Amino acid sequence: MTKSPAALSLTGLTKRFGAMTAVDDISIDIREGEFFTIVGPSGSGKSTLVRLLAGLEAPTSGRLHLRGLDITAMPANRRPTAMVFQSLALFDHRSVGQNIEFAMKMKGVAPEARRLRALELLRLVRLPESYYARPVTQCSGGERQRVALARALGSDPEILFFDEPLSAIDYRLRKTLEVELKELHQRTGKTFIYITHSLEEAMVLSDRIAIMRAGRFEQIGTPDEIYRHPTSRFVASFMGEVNILAVSQTPAGPVFADLECAAPEAAGAFAVLRPESLRPDASAPVTFAATVTQKLMLGSRTQFHLRAGQAALIAEIAAGSGASLSLGETARFGFDPADIAWVQA
Amino acid sequence: MIGGRARNWVKVIWVCTILTALYLPILSVLLASLANTRYMRFPHKVWSLDAYRGAAADYTTVTLHVISLQIAVWVVLLSVVLGTLGAMAYARYDWRGRTLFQKMLVLPIFFPQPVLGLALLLSMSALGIAPSWKTAVVAHAVWIVPIVTLVISIRLFGYDVAQEEAAFDLGASRWQVAREVTFPALWPGIFSGALFAFLLSWSNLPLSIYTSGADTPLPLWLFSRTATNYSPLVPAIAVIGTFVSGLVVLALLLLRRVLSRAAN
Repeated sequence: MTKSPAALSLTGLTKRFGAMTAVDDISIDIREGEFFTIVGPSGSGKSTLVRLLAGLEAPTSGRLHLRGLDITAMPANRRPTAMVFQSLALFDHRSVGQNIEFAMKMKGVAPEARRLRALELLRLVRLPESYYARPVTQCSGGERQRVALARALGSDPEILFFDEPLSAIDYRLRKTLEVELKELHQRTGKTFIYITHSLEEAMVLSDRIAIMRAGRFEQIGTPDEIYRHPTSRFVASFMGEVNILAVSQTPAGPVFADLECAAPEAAGAFAVLRPESLRPDASAPVTFAATVTQKLMLGSRTQFHLRAGQAALIAEIAAGSGASLSLGETARFGFDPADIAWVQA
Repeated sequence: MIGGRARNWVKVIWVCTILTALYLPILSVLLASLANTRYMRFPHKVWSLDAYRGAAADYTTVTLHVISLQIAVWVVLLSVVLGTLGAMAYARYDWRGRTLFQKMLVLPIFFPQPVLGLALLLSMSALGIAPSWKTAVVAHAVWIVPIVTLVISIRLFGYDVAQEEAAFDLGASRWQVAREVTFPALWPGIFSGALFAFLLSWSNLPLSIYTSGADTPLPLWLFSRTATNYSPLVPAIAVIGTFVSGLVVLALLLLRRVLSRAAN
């Protein structure tokens, strides 16, 4: 496999605000045409990082290379990159067309060429051409998203940055826009760097995900790697509903302290177990007794909230698999240790 | 329950009452200027344009307008520049003591103007500055700049500063960002602010009384001549003054149209 050149290369990138280190010595190569997502809770430094990449903030130290060219000191207006802002930051006093043409107007492109390109971009983001003359203030939330995207593409950027643009959108529209964004990425072949606080969103969109915590990347990997092999409890807990079991060492060997059962082949201090790995199966390699405290129908699967000793656990069973446990019932649940992702901290 | 027809009549009567209350005094001034009596008295026995002939022949008419205009223009410029900068500081930056400063800035508006005028006169004479139309500019500005700042910052309330970053990110220079994004967003506020500043300065009496010294702006002259030595010249010059300020406002409106057309 040949390694394509790095579209964007971060070397020891650091940003301090007074005593606070927002971005702490980050180094990574982002590949050409990659959909790279940075996931983190608020305050993790992800927004600062993307602002450094876009040139809206200057790093305290470290270098930034775009296809080998040092752009660390290059201001945002000279970088061949464009950002879709969290607030979208559309020019409210202008029409959809004028918004999309803005970058071209700044470059001095002739009005007629600008208009043709804007209409082309409208088609690309699936807005009718009639929107060209419409004031942006008359567009709905989803339409504004598309206009913001078209405007960013209007500068013909080599890299597109996204700062949580879908965070204020309702669930169904967000799902639609996620799919459209992914398709757009595939069609344009451009490098996308996306910021979000939702790992679920990152999973859908990305080729590679970086989990950010306190200014550093906690884990970098494909969605599959992150999902199957989280390297810390932080990453695991970010995925939403997972079971995290502490392992204690006893003279008789390692045990799951909360479950009061042996933990064979414990390879870390904590076991991360996905809800679908936990089953009402007395013949599983590891079993324990648990009481059903809540039963939720999720459509394709049923979620059980369980109590076993001190531990609260979540199990998910595919609908129609025959499991018919009712609320308050105690049964033996079990899992296969092979499904465990072991983490140290 | 009032029927739709009756309700409509109530509305019409109400609107007419308001309009009468607003325009009757102005109309009576106009009527007074067309009399030849030494006292304001209705109805006239004789209709005459003598007062206007007198006003046209009297160089005072021009002097009054020039002084008032001079003050108003400087006040407009000062308050628009300071008001814009102040409003931008609110809209763009979140700094310590911002809300406190905002309140303190607005406080002089609540201060009774005659007292403010006297206080300013006292401080100016303490500094050894002789009152003239220039000191009146300062006095007007003390009162009007906060109002204009408020007017402009209200317009900036929904302004997303990220628009400027977006423009910069899309390749605009600092100057292009100002011209393409910041100024168009500010412009309606600046325009209303300028209009306010002009009208408030043009009609100001209590501050001018204390601070304009030997220079007499229009309202001050009208006030003193109404109190003593009244003649139909007073309402005549008042009418002329109204027309002049109307013309200035009209000119400002035209300027706005020209500018907004140039922007697109």
